[in-house]
Amino acid sequence: MDDLSLLSDFSLFLKEKKLEGIKIVAYLAHDNIPEELLDAAEFFPLRLMFGGNDDLMDASHDFLPPSTCAFAQSCIGLFSTKPNEFSFLELVDYFIVSNHCVSDVCVSEIISKYFNIPRLNFYVPYTKNESSLKYFKLELLNLKSKLEDIRGREIANEELLESIKKYNNFKKILLEINELEILGSKKLNVIHEAMLYGPDFQPDLEKFIQNVKEKPLPISEKSKDILITGCSIFINDNMVDLIEEGGGNIIFFDTWIGNHYYSQIIDDNSFNSEKEPLDLLVLKFKNNVYGDHSVPNFLEYKVAQIENYYQNYTKIKGKKLGVINHIIKFCDHISLMSSFLKDKLQEKGIQVLNLERDYSRANRGQLSTRIEAYLEMMK
Amino acid sequence: MSLIADEIIQFSSVLRIAYNLLTGRNYLKRKKFREKEKLVAVTLPFSDLAFAAGTIPVFPIRMHQFEINKYLTYLGSASSIFGWDTVSNFLGFVRNLGIEDVSKLVDGIIEDVIDVINKKYNEMYDIGIENGISSDFCYGLKSLVGMHVSKGSNVDACLNVTIRCSAYNKYLESLKAINQGPKQIWIDIPPRNIGNAIELLTDNITNAIKDFENLTGNTITDNQIREHFKIGNQVKRSYKNIIYDISASDFYPCNPATFSEIMALLSITYQDYNSNATRYRDNIVSLEKEMRERIRKGIGMDVSNMPRIFVTPMFGGWEPKSHEIIYELGGRALYADWELLQLLEEIPTSPNSNPAENYARFLMNATETGIGCDNDKLTESYLRMARDLNADGMIFFQLFGCHSISNCYSMLREKIRRELEIPTTAITFNKIGESIDQMKTRIGAFMEMFN
Repeated sequence: MDDLSLLSDFSLFLKEKKLEGIKIVAYLAHDNIPEELLDAAEFFPLRLMFGGNDDLMDASHDFLPPSTCAFAQSCIGLFSTKPNEFSFLELVDYFIVSNHCVSDVCVSEIISKYFNIPRLNFYVPYTKNESSLKYFKLELLNLKSKLEDIRGREIANEELLESIKKYNNFKKILLEINELEILGSKKLNVIHEAMLYGPDFQPDLEKFIQNVKEKPLPISEKSKDILITGCSIFINDNMVDLIEEGGGNIIFFDTWIGNHYYSQIIDDNSFNSEKEPLDLLVLKFKNNVYGDHSVPNFLEYKVAQIENYYQNYTKIKGKKLGVINHIIKFCDHISLMSSFLKDKLQEKGIQVLNLERDYSRANRGQLSTRIEAYLEMMK
Repeated sequence: MSLIADEIIQFSSVLRIAYNLLTGRNYLKRKKFREKEKLVAVTLPFSDLAFAAGTIPVFPIRMHQFEINKYLTYLGSASSIFGWDTVSNFLGFVRNLGIEDVSKLVDGIIEDVIDVINKKYNEMYDIGIENGISSDFCYGLKSLVGMHVSKGSNVDACLNVTIRCSAYNKYLESLKAINQGPKQIWIDIPPRNIGNAIELLTDNITNAIKDFENLTGNTITDNQIREHFKIGNQVKRSYKNIIYDISASDFYPCNPATFSEIMALLSITYQDYNSNATRYRDNIVSLEKEMRERIRKGIGMDVSNMPRIFVTPMFGGWEPKSHEIIYELGGRALYADWELLQLLEEIPTSPNSNPAENYARFLMNATETGIGCDNDKLTESYLRMARDLNADGMIFFQLFGCHSISNCYSMLREKIRRELEIPTTAITFNKIGESIDQMKTRIGAFMEMFN
């Protein structure tokens, strides 16, 4: 399914949700928002995971300087220019203001303030020590209480537990998708669709897996395998096409829209240890060590994770794996760490391409050239 | 610059603060190698725990060798024999006699202090970029990376306090990649004061104190912490008095450009108190006294007809020529970043209270009501400050690459127009000295509004 059809179908889906009386809560795409809590409160969590273009970025300049993350700019642009294919954004009832990065705070605040969408706050600590985990729980309690006020009744532990299990199972299926040997663009389409629709999409995922198992989708043997890390490739973004046109194939999405999301699985032991449901969400936050929000050990974990994947891959497949660090221009987290990540991985013999870009059409040629040069080097 | 220099020699405390800033390297070398003290890198005014622990906090740029005007070196040497007051009085006396050569020397000293600091900042900026930080980040971060790349290996630890700026927090994380040696001591400030967040922050501070104990091998008592807070409170009191009683008043103890220069110097040095809290306290208390004394004697300048232009933010990088330009155009530039961010609030020191908890409350207050966890709160801080200073206008330095503070400008402009009804303008800033002509034009157009 192409991106336009996806958005069109999703628009209808969301309208149906709305007709069922379900409220829509939107937020920037980050990996620490407790969508299970939103789901348990019978809200629909709408992750803004849409790539931008020149028009969307330009439209944000009434609110923010151009030296703001291109994704953040585009999110404002979506609300400001209201493109037809994003008409479903009119259905948003609440917006979560969170602090994955400071641009997340600014953009969410602007969307809430200037486009009259009531805000819900959910702030995430930067470290992962004992106090931070307790603070995370405070934020969960605070959000839970706000959702209960809106809903007019409590969120029962059973309801929350059920939602946690639902999302947990959904992520397990997504992990299976991750393992499939299919073209990266196809894999990403499925991941996009799944993460947009949420667990409602699970039957389609299972069907897709079944179909691939029965009728594998062959990949060109000439293509060079790529692990993509850094910033996500969002819906409506041509990055994956550029990589494939250059002869590459993304086999692992080590990003928000990808492994950061579906690797956050709570194990059965934790479910059985009679923890409060909110504690399970705290545990999930604690285990999300590959997310770029956290300090001070993000870099070490990230290097270890990529190295581990790389070594396993080369051992099993007997061929090189390329690593592209995708940097959306002016992204605080990924950009600041990019030179350190590259240096550390290259010290371990892993060649990395730091690929920085915004969403303007003009840089497409330059990006293609850089990708092709990198893939050429992998021969 | 001669008028500025002429004024500054009247303030021996300013010479002392400038001298201590520029001669930090020798002082720090002595502390580290001869006295075996531990050096701790700090950024922003978060040096309290390092002082309380008996370590030497240092804003890393001060580990560099500065090209100090040789006469300031002579003054420094003379002051160690005769005392700073005597030296300053002598300079004033010579100046009044009209001995031109000596006057030129003094002019040169003061001009050099400001220029040398700015040149060093720009040098750090270049080193930062050469060592891999993207040029897309703000001036402050690029310079900080440069400082750590060039001198960070000399410190024993880095005190890392998280704030709302995600780039800053990631920069803090990158410090251990830049230099593996120094111990990293973290204080994570919860983003909001909800539930028992103060208690959690107190725990984080207590853990940081333990890290300091491990670093020094000494136990840190509550009394030690309180004693430092007392010194810090005296610094803050004088700093606040200078901001509110003097900079917002209609009679200045010197011309407004000199005054701004002094405020800029305070803003830079407040981050680490020039590595010696008691000495800094004495200097700033003496500065306030000197200023009041001059005002009492009617020495200085009536500035009642000069519009008060609140220039902010400056702590992450700003164009130091701006206050001269404003002065030449008939205005006066007011700087008060640390007060705006609530980092000049005093910390209670009563014997029965828990100093770690008091410090937690201080940090949380700065986070909640100063820096703010969102732009709505941050813009309220700007409004409050402009109101308290009775500002006639505001110039906002919009740092290229700053995603935290600069991003609030559109919201701030709207609020200022609605609630304060004073003119405001934004000036884009990337690097010191880079676009002075453009800035002159902007400030010129802005100052036209007051004619």
